[in-house]
Amino acid sequence: MRVSLLCALSAGAMASLFVFSAAADSVRIGLISEITGPNAEAGSYTVNGARLAVDAVNKKGGILGKQIELVIEDNQSTNPGTVLAFSKLGGNTDIPAIIGPIRSTQVQAASPTIQKAGIPVMIGGTDPSLTHVNNPWVFRCRPNDTFSSRVIADFGVTKLKLKKWAIVHSTDAFGSGGQKALVDALKTLGVEPVLIQGYTNNSQDFTPVVLAIKKSGADVIGTYMTNSQDLGIFAKQLRQLGVAATWVGSPSIVTDTAMKLAGESLHGTYGIADFNPDANAEAKIFATAYRAKYNLEPDVYSSWAYDALNVIAAAMNAAKSTKPDDVRKAILGLKNWKGVEGNYTFDENGDGLRGYNIVKNEGGKVKFVEHINVDK
Amino acid sequence: MSTQSLETPRARRLSPWPFILLAIAVAVPLLPYFTNVSHFVLSIFMQASTYAIAVLGMVVVLGYTGQINLAQAAFFGFGAYGVALGTVSYGLSFWLSLAMGIGIAGLAGGILGLTTLRLGGHYLAMITISFQQIFDLVAVNWIQVTHGPDGIAGIARPSLFGHDLSDDRAYLLLCSLVLYAMMAAVWYLPQTRLGRAMRGVRENELAAEVVGVHTLRTKVIAFTLCAALGGVGGGLYAGGFAYISPDNFNFQRAVEFLSMVLLGGVQSPFGGALGTTLLILLPEWLKEMPPSLQFIKDVYLAIYGLAVILIMVFMPEGIWGLLRSKWMKFGRTAPVDTSGIKLLNLDIAVTEATPLLKLEGLRKYFGGLRAVDGIDLEISRGTVHALIGPNGSGKTTTLNVVNGIYRPTGGRIIIDGSDVTLKSPHERAAHGLGRTFQNIRLFPSMSALENVIVGAQRDNNPIEPGGKALVARAMSALQFVGLADRADAIVRSLPYGHQRLVEIARALAGHPKLLLLDEPAAGLNQTEKMELVELLKKLRSGHGLTVFLIDHDMGLVEKVSDRITVLNFGKKIAEGTPQEVLRHPDVIAAYLGDSNAAA
Amino acid sequence: MDALANNFQVLFQGLALGSIYALVALGFVLIIRATNVVNFAQGDFAMLGAYLMVAFMVSAGLPYWLSFLLALVGMGLFGLVFNYGVYYPLRHRGFLPVIISTLGASIFLQNTVLAIFGAQPKRLDNVVAGGIQIGSVFLDSQYLVILAVTMVMVAFQYFFFEHTMLGKKLQATSQDKDMARLLGIPVALMIAITFVYSSALGGLAGVLVGPVLFVSIGMGSIIALKAFAATIIGGFGDVKGAIVGGLFIGVIESFAAFYISVPYKDAYAFLMLFLVLVFRPQGFFGERVSEKA
Repeated sequence: MRVSLLCALSAGAMASLFVFSAAADSVRIGLISEITGPNAEAGSYTVNGARLAVDAVNKKGGILGKQIELVIEDNQSTNPGTVLAFSKLGGNTDIPAIIGPIRSTQVQAASPTIQKAGIPVMIGGTDPSLTHVNNPWVFRCRPNDTFSSRVIADFGVTKLKLKKWAIVHSTDAFGSGGQKALVDALKTLGVEPVLIQGYTNNSQDFTPVVLAIKKSGADVIGTYMTNSQDLGIFAKQLRQLGVAATWVGSPSIVTDTAMKLAGESLHGTYGIADFNPDANAEAKIFATAYRAKYNLEPDVYSSWAYDALNVIAAAMNAAKSTKPDDVRKAILGLKNWKGVEGNYTFDENGDGLRGYNIVKNEGGKVKFVEHINVDK
Repeated sequence: MSTQSLETPRARRLSPWPFILLAIAVAVPLLPYFTNVSHFVLSIFMQASTYAIAVLGMVVVLGYTGQINLAQAAFFGFGAYGVALGTVSYGLSFWLSLAMGIGIAGLAGGILGLTTLRLGGHYLAMITISFQQIFDLVAVNWIQVTHGPDGIAGIARPSLFGHDLSDDRAYLLLCSLVLYAMMAAVWYLPQTRLGRAMRGVRENELAAEVVGVHTLRTKVIAFTLCAALGGVGGGLYAGGFAYISPDNFNFQRAVEFLSMVLLGGVQSPFGGALGTTLLILLPEWLKEMPPSLQFIKDVYLAIYGLAVILIMVFMPEGIWGLLRSKWMKFGRTAPVDTSGIKLLNLDIAVTEATPLLKLEGLRKYFGGLRAVDGIDLEISRGTVHALIGPNGSGKTTTLNVVNGIYRPTGGRIIIDGSDVTLKSPHERAAHGLGRTFQNIRLFPSMSALENVIVGAQRDNNPIEPGGKALVARAMSALQFVGLADRADAIVRSLPYGHQRLVEIARALAGHPKLLLLDEPAAGLNQTEKMELVELLKKLRSGHGLTVFLIDHDMGLVEKVSDRITVLNFGKKIAEGTPQEVLRHPDVIAAYLGDSNAAA
Repeated sequence: MDALANNFQVLFQGLALGSIYALVALGFVLIIRATNVVNFAQGDFAMLGAYLMVAFMVSAGLPYWLSFLLALVGMGLFGLVFNYGVYYPLRHRGFLPVIISTLGASIFLQNTVLAIFGAQPKRLDNVVAGGIQIGSVFLDSQYLVILAVTMVMVAFQYFFFEHTMLGKKLQATSQDKDMARLLGIPVALMIAITFVYSSALGGLAGVLVGPVLFVSIGMGSIIALKAFAATIIGGFGDVKGAIVGGLFIGVIESFAAFYISVPYKDAYAFLMLFLVLVFRPQGFFGERVSEKA
């Protein structure tokens, strides 16, 4: 009994590897995201954003008259899971484009697989190198970290006139990449940071970091922190130990969770955000629709996916084709295309955005300060 | 080596399932050559085959040797980083890099084993977890070498004998062939000397040590093999996916390896491979489930955890264990052929008049308790010498010190002219010391024959080399105690009296000069006691074997002993022939003062 | 900038986190003594306790002390369930199956809580807001509470085991089960009580540390690893050792992070563990590992 059940189960599992159901009258767009695993919550927002865009595009007639069907593949929040997901969707000839992950390491992992698949992939990972590895199929729908660091540096040095920088960063890929870029950006503005301090994710105590900042005498802190717990603990200890320096952080500083955890320790800090509901007209429309449909606050996880799907649809409609080469050319041909996160003009590397919103945490509310574009 | 009689009960009429599985195993890696299989499916198979190799390591260390290892993902990582760094960063050939990766993994496993295995169970769990965590931390933080969390991309595949393996199908074939070869080796392992030693360690480490197994070495070898298998799997994995990063090799992956081996069946390479395949396919299968069951995806890992508990409680031998017991019902066990068993040779040449065992001022203190307090004792060659005394008088402690289980606080132990005071129990076994325990210590899930073979395979046993001689020696020993016809029976299923006899046979198979019997009559009924007396008399009759025994049954002691030594409060109070000793006033006083005395 | 003040601050943080390790380690040790096995889900007891607190206080809006009480009672009950679900069925099967089973329980707990509460960490507020400022040193109120409660628990532990009948019965059980059974002590019940107590103790640690580290799925694992290292460094199965070991690890990693390197902070505890295992395997207070024939 148990044995036969087992056989049935394994047979089912085997069969599932070979069977793909295909609906003929739709354009199938892949979405690879974190459906399970530690980042599942972020993944669900990404799915929300993409679905909202699918609804919007379908209402306006879809792609080349066909309705869009979203094919969602889980990457289990891991790099190997991402590689597998790409080889699954990428090997499927009726999927002409894919929206990939928002995490840089996952994109890094899948890059060779994407190249092999040879179809346009929209990504949200912000590690600058992702679009600089001669992979013609990767398009970024968020500003990359060279821009985030340039915006942080520019805002701190030029607008706030602060010159003594301490940089605090996670030692993961995102954090170390951001740190390097920020050091470079500061250098071009003639500033040498007084402290660069790394830490591993899930550190329980930031006292040594805070004491080091205190000792360095920094008047501004730039951070690339990944986890909101870390951000919360750091913020609390920073203020408890009497460091009053201005703080300009990477986008995680203005996430809902971080602000909830840290509370008033984060009041008065600046952050950069690629998405802000008040930044432009498209953002306002998106935010309203998102709140209405999901009863949730829109965030970067949903907004970038919303833009990514819209970019794909716009490019396919412009190219009048879903062939990878045509779509690629059409994406590169988009000029000042108005999206939620800003105006997209894709350069030859596949980077679509070059600016960020500066926002300020005012008593627990995120206030839009300005949009800084750092186009050369 | 003769394996026929070594195996557990053999089925006559086999179920067709093993052949079907075999056919699938052969077909899967060849399938892509005949039909169009997507890159994704090939990736899944490559993942399954390379993981399965690492899981085989878990079979060796956890299943065979009974040692927990929660660092298998780190060993997997050594192999993978070896290949990745070797080929990408240093431009070495794939095979050289692979060999280095495996070597480093094996070395790390061996060192981990050496520094920690002596500490056993919980420490090992903890140490391997720590090791795993440190591996992860270093892989993430030592960016100059490991490339940090971004990992290493562009790992090339090798060619072999001029065949380019960069094609997915060819590479899958390579992985499968390596897997099958490793499976065969791991399957064969339990029937070897090393494999039996490993299982002995798992079943009862102390008993294994006492009958002559170098338990530390065995565990270190097991760990090295396990780590090396992890390295092989990891190296092939790196080539297969062309990309690795630290999150392939973290603690979660180590737990996954553990779950795979537990689910499939920890005792068998087939179980390991089966568990791996199922757990790799399971997520794919869950994705295809109807929407009403989609919630399972959210609690998928919780189910995973629950399953581990349930497997431990209800299915300790895993799926393979279930299948095996089902298939085995088809046939009956063949009776053991007892013809042609040679008589057990126990002869020890009694050439010298010096005592075989000599204790000089032997002391053993536990904190303030003086369990053995300065005993001098000589046991003549070829005699049966009994040690008696009230409860707590230090008899078993004396035996344990003689045996090497306890290190004495002071004094010397000399066996056959050499000082063994500082020698470990397995070294003493190699010196011709055999022993049984009061609370029988056999290897319960091994057959009677296998138990006795472990006893026969001690170092310096004067028998011919080779497996055939071992089996013959073990069968003779079983014949001697009258259990040759039960050779294939799993020891756990034998009645208590028979288990005691198997333990004696195990000690005799090692051809001891000195046999220590710790309360051999304990727990036996009257008939069994009579049989035991006959057996002991048979042992005494002119083989030259020296026996040193403890028992409470004065009747038995009187019947079989040449000399008796009496202990009280860790000191010798009398010594002599049975008649002398049992009439000694101090002895009578000692026993009358002790209400528990069985005399 | 005062070096002394810095050192004092670092010491204070180390002692406070060390206290948490010590509380969890204490739970470890009690179970080790009662059952001879290590409970690898001990850290998740802390995680579960903290989430119960979140459920009662934040989600249900109950007052602090009521939530606190309910969380501890809940954890006690959970300990009972854990005893009968995870340990009891395997009690005769040696330590390996039990260890693996507790590992399974750990995975189960983390992912069940994940499915219920989601991945985003939750916030708990300090029992008393604020803290004490001495010069440039700041003593967070929650850390002070943690230190105080740890001291109280250590005192209670001592009183309970040395001066109450139940405590003595528990001790007898942990020292020699067969003898305890002969003396008419219900051993299975004593073990169940041990699980209830260490589960509540773990829960207490979680509730206390929640405001400091925030409440997240992974909070238990890292604490448990350090706590386990503490039990070994202090002496396997030694109550005093668990507490000293916990404080020791907390202080060492705090200072090592300050003076040597922050990113490798987690490695120091394991490094200490390695060193202790190689040079003094019995730990600070343990007796030599003695085998029994």
